[in-house]
Formats: sequence, C-alpha cells, structure tokens
Amino acid sequence: MQERLSQSQIPLKQVYKPGDITGFDYEQDLNDPGSFPYTRGRHENLYPGGVWIQRELSGEGEPSRTNEQFKYLIEKGALGLDVIGDTPTLAGLDPDHPFAAKAIGTQGVSLCCFDDFRELYRDLPLESLSLSHSLSPQSVMSCLYLYAREQGFDPAKLRGSVIQAPFYNEDCGYAVHMPFKLRLRLSADSIEFATKVMPKFHAFVEDTYYISEAGLDSVEEMALGFIEMRYLVRELLRRGLPVDSFAPRIAILLNCRMDFFEEIAKVRATRRLFARMMRDEFGAKDRRSQAAVITCHTSGLTLTAQQPFNNIVRGAIEALAMVLAGVQAIEISAFDEAYRTPSPESHLVGLRSQQVIHMETNVTKVVDPLGGSYYIEALTDELERRIREMVEKIEAMGDPAKLSEDGWFKRNIFDHAMQRYAQQIREGKLLKVGVNIFPIPEEQDTLLKEVAERKMEPCFGRIEKIRRYKQGRVQERVKTALKALLEQAGVEGPNLMDPIIEATRSGATTGEIGGVLRLAYGLKYDPFGLIEPPFTF
Amino acid sequence: MKKIRVLIAIMGLDQHEVGAIAVSRALMDAGIEVIYAGRFNLPGMIARTALQENVDLIAMSCGSWEYLYYVPELIELLKAQDLAVPVIIGGSIITAGDEKTMRQKGVAAVFGPSSTMEQIIEKINGLVNS
Repeated sequence: MQERLSQSQIPLKQVYKPGDITGFDYEQDLNDPGSFPYTRGRHENLYPGGVWIQRELSGEGEPSRTNEQFKYLIEKGALGLDVIGDTPTLAGLDPDHPFAAKAIGTQGVSLCCFDDFRELYRDLPLESLSLSHSLSPQSVMSCLYLYAREQGFDPAKLRGSVIQAPFYNEDCGYAVHMPFKLRLRLSADSIEFATKVMPKFHAFVEDTYYISEAGLDSVEEMALGFIEMRYLVRELLRRGLPVDSFAPRIAILLNCRMDFFEEIAKVRATRRLFARMMRDEFGAKDRRSQAAVITCHTSGLTLTAQQPFNNIVRGAIEALAMVLAGVQAIEISAFDEAYRTPSPESHLVGLRSQQVIHMETNVTKVVDPLGGSYYIEALTDELERRIREMVEKIEAMGDPAKLSEDGWFKRNIFDHAMQRYAQQIREGKLLKVGVNIFPIPEEQDTLLKEVAERKMEPCFGRIEKIRRYKQGRVQERVKTALKALLEQAGVEGPNLMDPIIEATRSGATTGEIGGVLRLAYGLKYDPFGLIEPPFTF
Repeated sequence: MKKIRVLIAIMGLDQHEVGAIAVSRALMDAGIEVIYAGRFNLPGMIARTALQENVDLIAMSCGSWEYLYYVPELIELLKAQDLAVPVIIGGSIITAGDEKTMRQKGVAAVFGPSSTMEQIIEKINGLVNS
C-alpha cells in the first residue's frame, strides 16, 4: 500500500472522524475568532478593513523605476506595497563596490542612501498606504523616518513593516557579512526605536518565508521562526521593554507551498502557539500581543521554469489556501519567478488572482470556514505538537544564538533540506507537473516564455551616479557622523538608530554605515577585502 | 586512472546554492573530485583557483543574471592565461536565447532544469577525455 503522507511527512488517514479529535475542547483549543487562543483568527470579523491586504512584491532597477512600479500596482488595485532590494542592497554593498556591478537593480531595487529612498517613496500617500520592506531594518527605518519628517508627516502614523532576519540571513541568501551579535543588536535597536517613534509600524516581522525557500518543510519553517522570535523577544525583555510595548507589532511573514490543507493547518497552529507563548511564557496581557498578525508570500520554490503558465494555477491555489486560513496580507509569487523579477504582466496576474478570489468566490463571507473539520483540526493539533517539539528539542541543545553562530542551522537543517528537496523531485516523490511528470518538448514550451525571458540590464549608470553623489557631499559632516557611529557601536548599550539616522542624514551610504559597523566589531570594513574606508577615523 | 577534477563555483552576489550543492554531490558520487568554491567569486578568483588546483573543468552554477557578464569575462581570462579548461554552466534561469549567446562566447555545455545528473556527468567525462 502506498504511504499516505503530508508534505511534512505527517501520516494521514483516508478519512477523519470524531474519534480523531477526542479530548478536543472548543473553548480551550479553538474558541471564536478574535478570542484566545486565536486559532480561528485575530479578529471577530475576518477583516476589519473588509479585505486582506492584497499586494505584490516589487522592486527593480533605479529607485525611480520602482516608484513607477508602485504607482502601477496601486492603480491596478493593490492595497499595500512590499519592496525588495537587489542583492547588493540586501548585502549592504553600494553600487560602486566591485561585487555589485553586474547585479545592480536586476533582482530588486538598488538603494544605498537617503536620496534613493526619497525617489522610492515620491508622491506615495503615506497616510493611507502600508509600506512593507524586505530590506535591512536599520536602513529602511532611518530613511523612512527621515522622509516622513521631511514631508511633515508624523512618523508615529507610519504604517508598514520590515523583516528581521538576524538568525539565518547569512545561511539563506541574505548574507550581510556581519557577526551575530551585531545583527541581533541592529534588530533589537530598530524594534525598540519603533516602539517609541513609529508605534504603528511593524518593525518586528519574523520572516519564515525566505528561510523555508531553502527547501524546509512546514514544521521546520515554523520551528525555526519561533526560535528566532523567542530569542528576540527575550532580548527585548532583557533590555527592560514591557512585552506589551512591542508584541502587538510582531508579525509573521510565512510561506505557502502546495500542500493545501497542511499550509492552512500551519497558519492555525502558529496562531495557537503564538497566543499561548505570549500569554503564558512572556506574560503579555494586551490581546493584540497574543493574537498573531500573519502575512504570506506564496512559494517561489514551488514554481517552475518549465511551462511557466502552470505557475499561475499554483499561485492561485496557494493564495486561496491562505485566504481560507484568514491571513492579514498576501503576495503571490510571480509566474515568471524562475526567470526574473516580476514583469508588469505577472504583477497584474498576481493581483488579479487575489481579486478574483476576493470578489468572485464568496469565500470571505464566513470566518475560518474550515474550522471544526475533523481533518483540519486533527492536522492543526499535529502541526502544533511537531512545531513545539522541534523548538523544545533545539532550545534544549543550548543557546540558539551560539547554534546560529556556529553554523549549526546551516549544517543540520538548511544544507540537508536543499538536498532533500532536490532529491524528492529527482526521484519523483514530489510531483511537479511539467518537470517530473507531463513534460513537453522544449520547442512546444512557448506559452508566456516570451514574457519570462524578457530581462533587464544591470543599472551600470548607478555606479558613476553614486561616485558623484559621494564626491558631492560635505565630507567633514559625513566623517563626523560616521565617527560618532563607530564610537557608539564600539561600546555596548547605546541604541544605534540615532547615530545611523544622523549618518544617513549627513549623506552616508548603506555600504559605509555597514562598513563602519563592521569596523566597530573588529572586522574588516569590506567583507571581501576589496575596498577601503572612505575616511581615516 | 586519474580522477577528474572539477571546480564548482557561484559568481558575484548570486546566493542560490541548491543547484551547486546537488550537482557537487552527484559528481562526487560518480567518483569525480570536486573543488567547491561556493558563493561570492569574481572571474579573477575562479581563474586563479582553476590554475592553482589544476582542474580539468570549471562548472558555474547560475542563479542570477550576473553570469551573463561574468562567464564571458572568465573565458577571456582563461584564454589570456593560456588555460585550456572547458567551462560549463547550469541553472534554471538560462534561457534558450542566452544559451546560444553563451555557446558563441565559448561555453562548452549548458544545462537547464530538465537536465539529468547522468547527462551532466556524461558530458563532463566527454569534455575532459576528448
């Protein structure tokens, strides 16, 4: 008999019956939407605003080009924006760094100074828009803060988010070449800054999306996410912040793959785990601290380069799962994901898919429509148990920070997951239509290929532009601000957001700020050893 | 018989490592010696390693468009140093049009997402033993 397993290898039955949820207590385990433990959702109504935030990940080329992308998406009905930097930006390297040239603006937007963020945000309605960022927290928050101030907009009213990824970014494609202690400090500093200055801004987004794209399963994804979240929460408590001052603005950005019911159960299990953890372990009293804010990016890894039109179907199915799970925001990975940053056409398909689900299917009329299903509840219980056990097991091995620093997660989870995923596809254990089943000859595989294969040149022009920008600054001012940052970063204690904001205001770039922070922590200014600091401090 | 030595590397800031790791493992299983240079390489670094390690072939894993610039640069560098080492590339982002361009620039073989490990290994054996 063939084994019946979910994607996370959870044994499944042919049919689920009342006996599969014995001991199930409605008020304890489920309760009404908007009530502890929030398994069925954060709110009594599915969406207080009437709908989830429909957005698409964007960012390519010059900041001005991305600003046009934003306006295009808003015009087509997007209800929020999420922007990602190109690889040099995510690595904290300026466009004039020797490693940056060939990647400027091709996989995201190129941003390295306050001027760039001015271009990025130009003419956006700050009062009505939620601005999410897959970028370094310290650079986003310093620039967004300065921009709001410059526009005469109260930073306390800014809405949006930024991801925090101190544990796993060096292992999972967001390497910033900084030591763990510094990454953790920047995370905690930026979150602490937000509680005081930008209280509506979600400065604490636990991003399990990007880590799980390494091939992790649902249990591993959430377990690693909880480990990072718990560590950051403890760090903020250690600093003396009351839990209810920051916990209401924690959000989780998770992944959605193709195992439909498992992904739904994962969201519900995560809400229950989060609520119990915040209340029972960290003493949160505010209901907003207990009810998890969950947003989703559908999986790019489930998409294929072959027969790219199949990706439209995958995106719609994954988004439907997340709507049924009642998440707060969704972005669908673009159908041309395997080839490029989203084209205008694939952005439109993503948005339209969300709009069709929202407006044509009636699935949003009822909150948590799958609640009470024997299968969904049994699977939610099982996922909750497995996630909790994995968190406990890893935390029992020692300080998770040390595990991260020693590369334990890379060796024992990420490398293994990558190989496992590749093997599952190679051996046909994980079926991918158009890849290991129902392939078609390459010459017939033409539908949408033209869009997918249209690509953009790196923005080589930005190299000269940034060089000129650097020459045109008041050098003494930049030097003074960077020196102050170097000194404050060299001692434990001061929150680095203020000196980073000052440095940014003086005209210092992300690369220079990152370099100075590395110097303060005893590392080389340039992780690749190819460039020197702009000043002697 | 002397073991075949293959240098596997990823260039620039491309951080997609799944393919490179999977291919490395398959090559090792097939008895090929792999010098794994990992992420964050520039063409000069790869040419230098190829020379020092005396490799028979260079395999570049391509997960971002940076390869379109770096691979031709690498081939020019190898030529300039009289290093007759074939360069092969692989990755899901390589389009049919780019494959043609890369071959014109001197790439010895191109592999996409539907290539099998057997095909890659056979091609490497062929290129090195010819």
